[in-house]
Amino acid sequence: MQSYNEKLAWLGRHLKREWQIYVLLAPTLIWFIVFLYKPMYGLQIAFKDYSVFKGIVGSPWVGFEHFTTLFGNDHFIRAIKNTVIISSLSLVFGFPVPILLALMFNEILNPKFKKTTQTIVYLPHFISTVIIAGIVITAFSPSSGVVNLLLQSLGFDPVYFLVKPEWFRPIFIGSGIWQESGFSSIVFLAAMAGVNPALYESAVVDGASRWQMMWKITIPCILPTIIIMLIIRIGNLLEVGFELIILLYQPATYDTADVISTYIYRQGLQAGQYDLAAAAGLFNAVVAFILVMSANTISKRLSNTSLW
Amino acid sequence: MQKLSISTLAALVAASMTLPVTASAADMNYKVTDKPLELTIHLHTKKYVYNDDWPVEKRAQELTNVSLKNVASMATNKSEEAFNLLIASGDLPDIVGGSSLKENVNQYGPQGAFLPLNDLIEEHAPNLKAFFDANKDILNAISAADGNLYFIPYVPDGKFARAYFIRQDWLKAVGKETPQNIDELHDVLVAFRDGDPNGNGKKDEIPLFARQWEELIRLVTLWDGRVSGSDTYHDFYVQDGEIRHGYSEEGYKVGISNLAKWYAEGLIDPEVFTRGSRAREYLLSNDLGGMTHDWFASTSSYNDSVSEKIPEFSFKAFIPPEGISGKRVEANRRTKVKPEGWAISYTNEHPVETIKYFDFWFTEEGRNLSNFGIEGVHYDLVDGKATFKPEILNAGTPINTQMWQVGAQVQRGFYQDYEYERQWSNKHALEGIALYEAGDYLLEPYMGVAFVEDEKKVYDKYWPSIKTYMLEMQQAWILGTSDVNEDWDKYQSQLERLGYSKVMKVMESAYERQYGS
Repeated sequence: MQSYNEKLAWLGRHLKREWQIYVLLAPTLIWFIVFLYKPMYGLQIAFKDYSVFKGIVGSPWVGFEHFTTLFGNDHFIRAIKNTVIISSLSLVFGFPVPILLALMFNEILNPKFKKTTQTIVYLPHFISTVIIAGIVITAFSPSSGVVNLLLQSLGFDPVYFLVKPEWFRPIFIGSGIWQESGFSSIVFLAAMAGVNPALYESAVVDGASRWQMMWKITIPCILPTIIIMLIIRIGNLLEVGFELIILLYQPATYDTADVISTYIYRQGLQAGQYDLAAAAGLFNAVVAFILVMSANTISKRLSNTSLW
Repeated sequence: MQKLSISTLAALVAASMTLPVTASAADMNYKVTDKPLELTIHLHTKKYVYNDDWPVEKRAQELTNVSLKNVASMATNKSEEAFNLLIASGDLPDIVGGSSLKENVNQYGPQGAFLPLNDLIEEHAPNLKAFFDANKDILNAISAADGNLYFIPYVPDGKFARAYFIRQDWLKAVGKETPQNIDELHDVLVAFRDGDPNGNGKKDEIPLFARQWEELIRLVTLWDGRVSGSDTYHDFYVQDGEIRHGYSEEGYKVGISNLAKWYAEGLIDPEVFTRGSRAREYLLSNDLGGMTHDWFASTSSYNDSVSEKIPEFSFKAFIPPEGISGKRVEANRRTKVKPEGWAISYTNEHPVETIKYFDFWFTEEGRNLSNFGIEGVHYDLVDGKATFKPEILNAGTPINTQMWQVGAQVQRGFYQDYEYERQWSNKHALEGIALYEAGDYLLEPYMGVAFVEDEKKVYDKYWPSIKTYMLEMQQAWILGTSDVNEDWDKYQSQLERLGYSKVMKVMESAYERQYGS
């Protein structure tokens, strides 16, 4: 009893002294509760025969029926496969690009040139997805697209890229890299700015070349940042840029383009099956959770860097 | 069956009359109540919500003593979302209306969210009763699976929607006549491709294009294939009282294989799947497109807008060419009834007054008000017929926009009058419509079914996958990635594996319940 009262008294004193810190924490906490924890209550419709009018509580339970439906469907299996392929490929090809960009920017000496090129590569990030899709469609058009004009001037036949399943992934991943890598390089540039200049100075004294300094100093110093970013990317692995796919795909390219989120959109939201869509979304979240947990564990074992 | 009770009891009302004969509007009494009554309404569409200040609403208020107060918010432009929020809150206004109402009220009505209207109409709404007696197919089409009617629809008027259009000046340039059958059509398209009808010395003509690639699929009707016949793409169709789907049938196979051939020959726009909604604008104004299948009014209007740039430009509707069995078929028509209108929710304390108010819009006075705006301001009665005033017709703004602004032609439950559109259609459109009017090219429309819960489950489970597969194959065949004749057996068995016959079975039972006698 004594110790309990003591603890309470300590807590009171602590709160009185440090209340400003808790006030600072509050907005984030409230945001999480309102926008992330409270909606979890609605997840139960994945196990219910949901009717909007009957409400979440009033709808009857159906167990795992929606999951059985999903996994009994070839198109859902194909969507999982496509999601994994598209996101793995964009991880493999897309993840190193911002790091390379950041390293390049880091080596540029002329500040004016550096600023200009940085602005140019950041710019696509601020263009809305609809416009990006419009640009892609125009660029790859067989009659007037710049890509096909180039091909034709080199003596090739024009290709109708956007209805060819085998071209969908390269185009999608490529446009993703074009749009985002510049902006993603900012975080690595920030990490490089934090490297202690004394390291470079002593390397210069020791006669190291720029190339050696990059390999022996810059990269090891930003490695923790790289790993954290990688873990976050893996956690988002299943979240493929869904708007861009919706705008670019065609029934002709569903075979390689249809991912879980577009499948949910067509099957669930367009047909009004919210319960089924919730089940697919829940599956998505569970897989993402497993992925991020394993990435974190592996990284902790191998490099002592981890998110928590 | 309950759905027929209105019609049987109403035998006294002459079925041939769409509207009962009314005395001149001035001395009619449309008062629904003696004391003014205010009802709340949620009517949400992409473009507008119900507006208490619309002059048409004010006029209706004077005539009926009922005023509507809008509770819908313009915070979202997604009507479906607005509707779901409304239903989920459980706090329903007296009247609910807006886009895609039919599916929603027919789902939530039987669960108790909306009142069945059949008995109310029977007892209190003579004009609605007369309308539904004269249009039993509409009543059947919009009733819920339990046989009850839950909303008063927006009923469009006029039959024709899209037509075949061809460049008459190009025909002259290549020395051909308007094509009358498939072979002639093929010859003409080849001539468009090779004959340089736009005279720029380049082979850049696109003989056949479509703003929506689905319009291209309608051409399978030339080879006796079938599409829905309504305005909905990839839908079911009805023949001799039987419900079917065209995409699993022989004529479709023949049609697609021929379209694939045309595509390979370069007669069809190579970019038909991605050019999108601006295709017509781009191809016509750049003198590149030769033929299409599109809406009468908007396509005809290019004769005015492009002729400044291309003086001899003449893009005219022509009657459907004869198919392989000698029939001329136009596969598209206007929907007879929209899934829009208004319904009475279970919280409404004045259902009788509300149905009487709904009934007002189906009187001659109400119909004119909802179609033409206010008498003396927007239209005058000429020989008893509502006619737009010249200053309205010549105002420069399209009539439909002008009407929306005052609250006419909005998605309340009303009966559209084709006169409204005819009076402002351009002469090329009217000529085209007259051509189609003279022949009998339209197909029997399929107007939709309402499912009971078990049927809906089967449909929702299988149909989206089947449709996805159908469309994938359709595009692959036309693009030439795969061959329809080789794939056909595999296609059929894959459809079967995806649950095709299960879906057809629930479609049949739903159709039988709804339209069977």
